[in-house]
Amino acid sequence: MQTETNKGVTTARIVETRKLGPALRFVLALIVAIIVLLPVIWILSISFKPVEEWKADPPTLLPRRPILDNYKILFRIGNPVGTVREMVSSAEPVNRAFLNSLIIAPISTVASVLIGFCAAYAVSRYQVGGNFMPFFTLTTRMFPPAAFAVPLLFYYSWILRNYLKIDLYDTHLGLILMYTGFTVAFSLWMMKGFIDAVPRHVEEAAILDGASPWRVLFTITLPLVKGGLFATTLFVFILNWTEFLLALEFTSREAITVPVQISRYATAVGEFYGPKAALGIIASIPVVIAGYLIQRHLVTGFTFGMVRE
Amino acid sequence: MADLVHKPSQANATIRVSRLARIINKETNFQIALVAPLQLLLWFLLIVPTIVVLYLSIIAWQPILGDWTKAPIVWLKNYGDVLSDRVFWAALGRTVAVVTIAVSLEFIIGLGLALLFRGDFLAKRILTSVILYPMMLPWVVVGFTFYLLFLPQGPVNYLLRQALGPGAAVSWFKEPLLAFSTIVLADVWQWMPFMFLILYSGLGALPREPVEAAMTLGANRWHIFRHVILPMLKPIIIIALVIRALEAFKIFDLIFIMTDGGPGTSTESISLYIYRLSFEYQRLSYAAAMAVLILLLVTVITRIAIRPLEYHQE
Repeated sequence: MQTETNKGVTTARIVETRKLGPALRFVLALIVAIIVLLPVIWILSISFKPVEEWKADPPTLLPRRPILDNYKILFRIGNPVGTVREMVSSAEPVNRAFLNSLIIAPISTVASVLIGFCAAYAVSRYQVGGNFMPFFTLTTRMFPPAAFAVPLLFYYSWILRNYLKIDLYDTHLGLILMYTGFTVAFSLWMMKGFIDAVPRHVEEAAILDGASPWRVLFTITLPLVKGGLFATTLFVFILNWTEFLLALEFTSREAITVPVQISRYATAVGEFYGPKAALGIIASIPVVIAGYLIQRHLVTGFTFGMVRE
Repeated sequence: MADLVHKPSQANATIRVSRLARIINKETNFQIALVAPLQLLLWFLLIVPTIVVLYLSIIAWQPILGDWTKAPIVWLKNYGDVLSDRVFWAALGRTVAVVTIAVSLEFIIGLGLALLFRGDFLAKRILTSVILYPMMLPWVVVGFTFYLLFLPQGPVNYLLRQALGPGAAVSWFKEPLLAFSTIVLADVWQWMPFMFLILYSGLGALPREPVEAAMTLGANRWHIFRHVILPMLKPIIIIALVIRALEAFKIFDLIFIMTDGGPGTSTESISLYIYRLSFEYQRLSYAAAMAVLILLLVTVITRIAIRPLEYHQE
């Protein structure tokens, strides 16, 4: 896979590398990476610090007395001692929120990307709905969510419940539908960009050979936009995983997600730096894993370059 | 005689038409199936809430007044009030400033990084993961992180004191301009990786032939970038900018956590103002009118921005 891709882009790369050596590129990239990482290192460090070090002056980059209590407390593992436990006793453990997020975010991401990809193909190849349809879809991202939350809540918890006998409030399905609906605009627009870049004659050749449109869509076009598809999936997953305001308004107990849980910790216990930092670190782990898995495809999956004229 | 000539051709035409109809039908079915899920989802989710917002915006109602169906209709009065509201204009201006500054910085850094990462070098994959990390954090966490960094006794002030002497410490969240800068900085830190990811994917997706052709013709690197790569990248650039700008325009969580709009209301964004109007002051009609105005404004601007991407008669 690696070599195949390299062969594909070698010529284009020669131009770049001639001027800017790999060593210089590495140094520049390393500097950027370190700058980017510094704030993360700071919360990572806070998450291992005991309560008296959270606001220590002068601050230390590494915890002087590293502890795991901030993490243990989140899942109620063991019996952490001291002030931390008293501060956290009013907040719930994060197990349920974590499980909910692990169900809601991946399902709505797959649904959003699939629906968006199909619609993007229709828009890109057949101009279904003209210019209006993709634009109309984009309006879902234009409303300030703070303003949309009230009427949406009214719709979910009153109209749907009373007239259609569908209860979506505080359920997984309710959030999945909403997350799919509010991210599908991105799936559509991002995939449209990638599909537009695939030359049409590749598909036309297959159609002339007698392949059905569905076959062309999934066996010709889909593999060609794989890199874009993974990039879109990752982005939509991030949006769904980190969404805050809608989850806050539409869940109360059963379906709460990780960001809502983080905010509850914030309100329940004031300046609760250590466990909040620990929760922030934990909350980013699934996305980091997803990012790492997908990144292989991002790096090796730039297949557009291999479409031969 | 004329009949004899006429009949076969008519039969031919009928056959041709029915075959065409079959193909069209098949094509249409395919196209409908492609967009149907999207349409169903959007109509199910959006149409009723949109009507509710529009209705709320033309009545004079607050939850305290009881049944909203009995509230008097005042038509455009709420809209007039919004347009003469100084706080609204200030929040709007501030939001536009955040969007412009943050998104420009994200784009410039992201494009630079994307070009840097086109070449091969040591540990490229790990460094890519590291640089993508900030966008994987929830907003709430990013806000909290930057809040900790810029606390009076936090690490940024500590470094300033070490470098410039004890007087160099700054109360970041007490000065409007400084508070504003920390918010922009947090937004850039979190979303620069997104620009990088999109532009990097876009660069990788470009066909090589035009670049090779330009090389053969002896164009230099700058010319290839400016006249070959950049125009081909334009659709992706526009999409990335529009997506980012739309999201940045709704900035809420970061400000909510870091400054809560303060000092005073000097860092209040339009989303935060609407949130306050709805949930703190309970002025739902007024907030709805403001939301509709914002939607109109954003719609017009977005419409202009994506014009180059639209399909014209071919």
